Amino acid sequence: MPPFNPVYTAIVIVALVGAVLGLCAFLTLTERKLSAWMQDRVGPNRVGPGGLLQPMADGGKFFLKEEVIPDHVDKLFYVLAPAAAVGTALLALAVVPFGSTVAPPDPVAVTAPAAGGPTPVETFERQQAEYRSHFSFVLNPGLDIGVLYLFAVGSLAVYGGVLAGWSANNKYSLLGALRASAQIISYEIPLGMSVLGVFLIVGSLNPERIIDWQTAGGPYWLLLFQPLALFLFMTSSYAEASRLPFDLPEAEQELVGGYHTEYSALKLGLMLLSEYVHLIAGSFMLAVLFLGGWSLFGLESVSDDPIVTAVLRLLILCGKMFALCIFAQLVRWTIPRFRFDQLMNIAWKVLLPLALLNLICVMVVKQMGWPLVVLTGTSAALVVGAGLFSVWTAGSVTNPKRKVVKLPAGVPAGVTYAS
Amino acid sequence: MPIPESDVKWVEEARLGFWEQLYVPAMIDGLKTTIGHIFSPQVKTEQYPEQEPKMPANYRGVHRLNRDEKDRVKCVACYMCATACPAHCIDIVAAPAPAEWADREKYPETFVIDELRCIYCGMCEEACPVDAIELTTLYDLTGLSREQMVFDKEKLLSVFDQTTKAGTDPVRTRAGRLSVASEAPPGQ
Amino acid sequence: MPTVYVNDKPVEIGNRKLNCVQAAELAGQFIPHYCWHEALSVVASCRMCLVEVGDVNPKDGVLTMQPKVVPGCQTPVRDGTHIVTGEYDKRDTSFPARPYDANYLKGGAPGTRAKKSQADTLEGLLINHPLDCPVCDKAGECKLQDFSFKYGRSESRMVDVKNTPPNKPHLSSKITLFTDRCIMCTRCVRFTREISGTAELMVNGRGHHEEIDTFPGRPLENKLAGNVVDLCPVGALGSKDFLYKQRVWYLKESNGVCSRCSTGCSTFVDTNKDIVYRLRARPNPEAQGHFMCDEGRYGYHFANSAERIQRPQVKADGVLKPAAWNVVTPQLKKTFTDAASASAKTVVGVLSPFLTVEEAFLYATYFKSLSADVRLAIGPVPVVGHDDTYPKDVKGNPVEPVKFVIRAEKCPNRRGVEAVIKHFQGSVPAFADVATESLTALWFVGGYPDKDQLAASLPANWKAPALVVAQDLFAGPITAAASFVLPATSNFEKAGTFVNHAGLAQTFDRAVRPPTEVRTELQVAFDLLGRKGLVQAAAIRAELAAAIPAFAHLATKELPANGVRFELATV
Repeated sequence: MPPFNPVYTAIVIVALVGAVLGLCAFLTLTERKLSAWMQDRVGPNRVGPGGLLQPMADGGKFFLKEEVIPDHVDKLFYVLAPAAAVGTALLALAVVPFGSTVAPPDPVAVTAPAAGGPTPVETFERQQAEYRSHFSFVLNPGLDIGVLYLFAVGSLAVYGGVLAGWSANNKYSLLGALRASAQIISYEIPLGMSVLGVFLIVGSLNPERIIDWQTAGGPYWLLLFQPLALFLFMTSSYAEASRLPFDLPEAEQELVGGYHTEYSALKLGLMLLSEYVHLIAGSFMLAVLFLGGWSLFGLESVSDDPIVTAVLRLLILCGKMFALCIFAQLVRWTIPRFRFDQLMNIAWKVLLPLALLNLICVMVVKQMGWPLVVLTGTSAALVVGAGLFSVWTAGSVTNPKRKVVKLPAGVPAGVTYAS
Repeated sequence: MPIPESDVKWVEEARLGFWEQLYVPAMIDGLKTTIGHIFSPQVKTEQYPEQEPKMPANYRGVHRLNRDEKDRVKCVACYMCATACPAHCIDIVAAPAPAEWADREKYPETFVIDELRCIYCGMCEEACPVDAIELTTLYDLTGLSREQMVFDKEKLLSVFDQTTKAGTDPVRTRAGRLSVASEAPPGQ
Repeated sequence: MPTVYVNDKPVEIGNRKLNCVQAAELAGQFIPHYCWHEALSVVASCRMCLVEVGDVNPKDGVLTMQPKVVPGCQTPVRDGTHIVTGEYDKRDTSFPARPYDANYLKGGAPGTRAKKSQADTLEGLLINHPLDCPVCDKAGECKLQDFSFKYGRSESRMVDVKNTPPNKPHLSSKITLFTDRCIMCTRCVRFTREISGTAELMVNGRGHHEEIDTFPGRPLENKLAGNVVDLCPVGALGSKDFLYKQRVWYLKESNGVCSRCSTGCSTFVDTNKDIVYRLRARPNPEAQGHFMCDEGRYGYHFANSAERIQRPQVKADGVLKPAAWNVVTPQLKKTFTDAASASAKTVVGVLSPFLTVEEAFLYATYFKSLSADVRLAIGPVPVVGHDDTYPKDVKGNPVEPVKFVIRAEKCPNRRGVEAVIKHFQGSVPAFADVATESLTALWFVGGYPDKDQLAASLPANWKAPALVVAQDLFAGPITAAASFVLPATSNFEKAGTFVNHAGLAQTFDRAVRPPTEVRTELQVAFDLLGRKGLVQAAAIRAELAAAIPAFAHLATKELPANGVRFELATV
């Protein structure tokens, strides 16, 4: 990696953001096409061959439509909200590796240098120089707090929704915003909790190092040791991105359009875009944290040519990301939307305890120095245990029900009351 | 009216077993279905402008006023359609039939249907005692102004000519013979 | 007290001579009938009113029912008569069953024979009936439809070709005959023979080929001819005036009083969407009986006329210009008040005999409130020829007893308006008396439906004063001289009370709304008097009854439908 160069970085940012936005546009197409096929429809097929240019038409429409700013909105925050939504989503991309990476050097222990050996400073500089000599597909390589930054920035996404809903002065918007904030804040917790195990195993928050851990010495993808965490992380990230089945903030049947009810034209486009950016960032993180990053059963290093390897790794990682996006879309068109109480129950009563137990298991295994394979077993055990627990309590913990009482004679049927 | 107790059926919510409580198998089941459809789609969509849909004969589209065998309007201006119309979109002015119509006493001097007001329920067709008004299979009704969509007698008769020429007669209520729909369902 | 039992229900008939249909009516049991009419002679030809009848032998008190069904209209009842109608099975079972004789009960349960007979009668009546209800104007108020639905059978067993005699539109200039729909009840024939006496109609042919017809060269042209359309229980006789104008189920019926002569016939006013479509006679033994004349029947067209004065007009620079009410009313009030205060003796308020008593009362109150010296006068009373009495003989000479009178006085409320004026100033000057004086101001409250009649009844030498306020339906000599022209309402557009030639006060309801810019006379008087609140004729009537002793009879909240008869002793 060459030293920091503003022009070079700017070019990379522009290229990356452009690629992500383009990908978002085409994800809308895959979304519509997939849903159409699933539902035995044709899907968009009028614009371009097979409807391929549909995203262009949609984007053009967002640009060309009349921009309506209602009189009753709080103008400043109303205009700020879409920018906040998209901006925070795009910021997450700063630490996301999207191709070949190299693990940053370990910290150098400050000890008295061995005779004739390099001083710690020399060692550090040598390691740094060596690290920089590799080309890293990250905007900000070597950031040790990597994933932490991602969570921090991702949490800001809630501002977009809240500002939009609050400034719109519309009860549907406000309800949508409240739901969005409650949902995103709730799902932050299982999201963070589930990957703590990964960090404990790897011992670093740096995504490059996490990839390195998984690729060094064979494909030890964390999927193998943390399948439960993968599931929890994936579920939570869908909720974070407000994807169906967790799209309560904009539940059309109840809330018109949720927090972006009052938005039109490009602002609406930005709002919708931010969700896709979240999805892309989330998919990248899934690929990096659990699915071995740019590695694919040795395919990543078939060539000795560094350029070919770099391209190959880029393709592999982006392919994983894309596959995960497609999977999210499959899930979206398969599972119906949850009720809001169910949504909260899942976050607080299912995902969070499971994530905590998983974390404890990792701690114990690490402390005892047992092989990591044990964690695969504990994950399975946790899932089975949760199922058994649920059967034992007849679902009354996660899904408490009102008791149905048979009414005394004379009371018209259809009236229910709790005893 | 309260529902009688004998009609009330008490249903207990089914208790989920272990497999269902896991939820993931159910998800996978669902995914199997949806993904299955991706790879073997059974698309029935008609590509509309290129592919004209074939409307069933009992489709309720634009009205027409039928002509009798002497090319006169069949309508006898009885106002049954206007009376049955829930949208009040039919306006008739009746008059004594011209002297040369030996078999007729009354005929519609004007017969106007506001196609925008109409809800295409087909009650006029049901009410008509002489099968003079019918709803055709013409579905693509457009106009550039409200006035254009108010069909007078000549326009409605021209719809008859047009549909007869095109061979898309909607006829389902021929005099003296009712359609299959009026028969009692089997087993009753 | 003579008692008759109708479907086991005892009903006391008093000393009246009733037939079974009327006695059953008293007991609340309707017996269907076509040919029988209260005002016409009995022929018992339709056989729809067949009932089972029996009598109690006064000697031994045994009830014996007749073995055959008899026509109810032709069978008089007496004490102990038992009537069993076809609807015996729907009777009021709270009354104990009568001791019917065993012989009678052998022939089936009570009522079955009458029921079967009625159904058979209907089937016979429908044999030749064309069943062209969709194009028949009577459909919806047709007795043949109603009775077939209620007493008849749903399918016909007639397999032969129906007899379809040609229609006779030449029957009359006002009436057409759809011969094939006729059920030969001969009500119309009897009407022309018994009520109008002109006997234009006859039954031609026999049996299957019976037809109603006129004599050659003698069309049905008499002043009561329109009644045969009302009388016809089916759609055979149609009024050319109403032919195909409306289906009857669209019409809303309201009670009216005819304004075209001082007989004051009770009418039904049939309207739809604020248009009067036809008038029918409302039976009222107090006023005119069962019928009305054609003058009144077809005399509603003025209300729908496009020539009516539609909005207030004010003369400016010698030309009448339309003006808004909120401009006209204060201006008019000021101008007239000024005129009255300048010289009250030469100011006259003219109240036409077409006003209701309520309107006359409010206007008189207004004029007298300006100054006690302002004089009131009754407007010109149109009189055309002499009273026309019916029946007549075939030569047109009146025959006693008189059954219907068309009055020469062509206004509905001369006596009522005179009584009001008399209360306010003691004497009732005629328009002709005051209009020839030199006046300074004249307020003419008109409402004359026929402008020619008004013009004819104006005195030739009347002089228009400087200020004329004319309130009328049509433009005429008075509105031509007026500085202010206000629109008037027809009697269909207002509620009120008329007092007819005999002193019968009848109220009537509003049938249609007046045209958009037309305010009722009551409303205008309200505005002039500066009164607030809803304008309700009934409230004014109560006020009037309290103020004028002659009208004290009207104090009841709602007058009976037939009106209140009282002698206006002071008039």
